[in-house]
Amino acid sequence: MDRRDFLKLGLSSIFFAGLPKIIFAQGTSTLSVSEGKDYAAITRNAINALGGIQKFVKKGDVVVIKPNLGWDRKPEYAATTNPFVLKAIAEECIKAGAKKVKVFDNPCNDPRRCYENSGTNGALKGLKDVELKQMEDERYKNVRINGVALKEWELYDEALSANVFINVPIAKHHSLTRLTLALKNMMGIMGGNRGYIHRNMEDSLSDINKVVKSHLVVIDATRILLNHGPQGGSLNDVKVVNKVIASTDIVAADAYATTLFGLNPQDIAATVTAYKRGLGEMNLSKIKVIKA
Amino acid sequence: MKITSSRISQLIFLAIFFVLFINTEYRGKDEISAAVNSFFRANPLVAISYLLSTKTMTLLILPGILMFVFSLLLGRFFCGWICPLGTIIDLFTNRIKKILPLKFLKTTFKYYLLFTLLFAALFNINMAGVLDPIAILVRALTFFFYPLFGHSVKLGWTGLYSLMGDNRDHIDFMYAFLRDYILPFRDTLYPLAFISFLLFALIILLERYEERNWCKNLCPLGTLLGLLSRFSLFRRLPKKLCADCRECKNICPTAFDEDILQKQDCILCMDCTLKCKFNRVKFSSVFKGRRTKEKTPVVLGRRVFLGSLLSGFFLAKSFAFQSPREQERLLRPPGAQKEGEFLKKCVRCGECIKVCLRNALYPDLFKSGFYGMFTPVFIPRLGYCEYNCNLCGQVCPTGAIPNQPIEEKKKSVMGVAVFDKNLCLPYAKKINCIVCEEHCPVPGKAIKFELSEERDYTGKKVTLKRPYIADELCTGCGICENKCPLEGKSAVEVFAKVKKSKHGAQ
Repeated sequence: MDRRDFLKLGLSSIFFAGLPKIIFAQGTSTLSVSEGKDYAAITRNAINALGGIQKFVKKGDVVVIKPNLGWDRKPEYAATTNPFVLKAIAEECIKAGAKKVKVFDNPCNDPRRCYENSGTNGALKGLKDVELKQMEDERYKNVRINGVALKEWELYDEALSANVFINVPIAKHHSLTRLTLALKNMMGIMGGNRGYIHRNMEDSLSDINKVVKSHLVVIDATRILLNHGPQGGSLNDVKVVNKVIASTDIVAADAYATTLFGLNPQDIAATVTAYKRGLGEMNLSKIKVIKA
Repeated sequence: MKITSSRISQLIFLAIFFVLFINTEYRGKDEISAAVNSFFRANPLVAISYLLSTKTMTLLILPGILMFVFSLLLGRFFCGWICPLGTIIDLFTNRIKKILPLKFLKTTFKYYLLFTLLFAALFNINMAGVLDPIAILVRALTFFFYPLFGHSVKLGWTGLYSLMGDNRDHIDFMYAFLRDYILPFRDTLYPLAFISFLLFALIILLERYEERNWCKNLCPLGTLLGLLSRFSLFRRLPKKLCADCRECKNICPTAFDEDILQKQDCILCMDCTLKCKFNRVKFSSVFKGRRTKEKTPVVLGRRVFLGSLLSGFFLAKSFAFQSPREQERLLRPPGAQKEGEFLKKCVRCGECIKVCLRNALYPDLFKSGFYGMFTPVFIPRLGYCEYNCNLCGQVCPTGAIPNQPIEEKKKSVMGVAVFDKNLCLPYAKKINCIVCEEHCPVPGKAIKFELSEERDYTGKKVTLKRPYIADELCTGCGICENKCPLEGKSAVEVFAKVKKSKHGAQ
C-alpha cells in the first residue's frame, strides 16, 4: 500500500466513522455542561454524562487530543487550554485502554515555550503512554479537500491516522471570527501558510472540519477570554466561568459555548456556515443539554 | 598528541566550550546560565577594546580584566592551556604537512593588526571581535557547522519517516534526546555562513606554513597576551637553544623561530620541559637566580605606533558612511538603543544570534556600514522577537544588548510597524484578514482596526476590519510582518526609528 492509498483509506475510514453519527444524530444533538472549581473532576463529569470515554475510546486505540496551545501564555490568561482539563482527558483515555495518547498543536509562538508556559508540559509529564509531541514538518500530508474554499491543504498525518480525535479548545475571543472555539481549533492540524484562510475563514473551517471529524469535543470554559483575543495577555480580559462543555456535535458545542459570552450562535459566522453545511446542530432549542 | 597537563587542560576547556555553545539555546527555562558566554567575558581583548571604545567600565568585563592581570603575572598560558581555537589548531596541525613559513608574517605585522584594532576602538569603532579567535570560532560554529550538522541529522530523520512511516516512532526517543539536548531547534541558513567558515578554514590552512601560525603571527588576542607575558614572573631556562641538542626548536610550537626563546610567543605548554633529554629545561621565577639583562625587541616602536594610529583612524573614519536607505530597516535587538553605543559594545560573537528563539537575528554584512560586519540585525520577515523572551540580552557578554528584566524588555522599542495600504488586503482588495492583529502580543493590541462598511469589487456589501498601528504601543517586535499571510512582501513592515542628525546619516 503506498502512501496515497494509505491516506485515502485513513481519510475515508474517518469519514465513514463519522457518517452514521450525522445521519442518526440529526435533531438529537446531546451536550453536557459541568461546573465546578475542580477542573479535572468537571471534565470527567462532562464526559461521563455523554456515556463515558469508553464510548469513544476502545482498547488499543491511538487517540489524538488536540488542545489549543497557540500562544506563549500562562494558563491564567485564558489563551491556552487548561492543563488540568487536558490531563483529565488523557488519563480517561488511558483508563479506557488507549494504546497511545498523542497531544500536539501547531502554535503561533515558539512551540517549546507554548508547551512549557501553558502548563501542558508539566501536567502531562510522567503519564504513561501519553505524549506531548512537537509537530514535525515531514508529517504534513497534502490532502485533497475539494471544499468550498479549500481545494487541498497540508494536514497533519498523525491527526488523520488517529483512531479517535478529541478536540479540546479553550473558548475565547477572536477579532476576525469573534470567537475561537472547536471548529477553529482545527487550524492547529493545518500546515503551510495558515493565515491565508483568514480570507475566507468560515468556509475554510467547514472544509477542514468536514475532512477531519472530531469524535469528541471538550470545550474548556474554565476561564474564558472576553477581549483582545486570541492571545490576550491581560487578566482584565479574563472571566472565570468554571465550566467544561462536552459533545460529539462540534457545532452544538460551539453554539452553546457562544452563550457564555452573551452572544447568540447566529452571531458567529463560522458556526452558521458549519450548520448550513450539515456539520451539526446550532439551534439551542434542538440540543439536549445535560447538566452534569 | 602526547598527553601532558596542558593537553588535558586544553581538551577539558574545549569540551566546556562545546557544552556552553550547545547550551546557548532555550531549554525550557526563561533563564539561561550566565556561564554560556564565559569565554567572551574572560577575554582580555574584548575587555580592552570595550574600555577603549566606550571609555567606561562595567562589571561584565571584570573577568577579562582579571585574565589580563593573570597573564601579566603568569604569561601567555591562555593560548596553550585554554583557547579552544588553539586546541583545534593543535588537533589538526600534525596532519598538515609543513612547507616554509610565510616571510611577510615574520615582521611586526601582528602588532600593526592589534594596535590598529585598538586605536580604531579608541576612535569609537570596536572591530576587535572580527578577528577575536573565540568569536571566529563561535561564528564558524553558529553560522556554518551547527546549522549544517542539525540539517543533516534532520534530513536523516526525515528520510527515515519516508521509509518507515509511523514505525519511526519506536526510535523516537533517540531523536528526542538529540533534539532536546544537542541539535538546533530550527534550521536556519545564515547570510555570512560562508565567510565565517572561510575565516576559520584559513586559520587551519595557515598551518601548512608552520605550527600555530595564526596564534603566533596574527591572532590579536594572542598578540595582546604576548605583550603582557613579557612582564610575567616566570622565565624559561635556558633562554637559548643548547648548542649540543637544539631539539627544542622542533618541540616548541611557537617560541623558537630563532635561537633565543621569544618570551611573548611562549604559550607555556611545557612540552620542552617534559621532552628535554638532559632535564635542563625549567620554568622558574624571575626573582630566582642570576638576573641578566634581557634584550627584548621593541614592539611598540614609533613606526608601529604611528602606523597603527593612522590605520586605526582611517578604519574608524573612512568607512563611516551609512546609506540612509539601509538605515530605515536597520533594526537592532531589543534594548540596543543608540546605534553608536551598540557598535562600541558589540563583540560580534554571534551569541545572541545563536540563542534567538525565532531566528529573528542575523549577522549583518553592510547594512550598518562597513564596520557593522557580523553585528546582529533583526529581520522580521524571517523571524520575530518573541514577546516573553529576553535571552539575547542574557547571553550578550558586554551588555551591547542590555540584560533587561522581562517586563522591561516587553516595552523596549526596536522600531515601529507601518502598513502598506497598496498591499494590505482590507485596503487593497477589500477582503478581511487581520492576521497581524491576531498575533500582536501587546496586551491591549498595538494593532487595532476600524470597521468600514463598503462594497467589494463584485458589488457585495462587506464589513471590513481595517487595521492600523497604535504607534505608542508598538514595540516593533515584528510578528505582524513575520506572520502577514501575503506571499512575498509583507503588507506591514517594521521600520527603525532613526533620529536624523543634520548630516542626514548616522
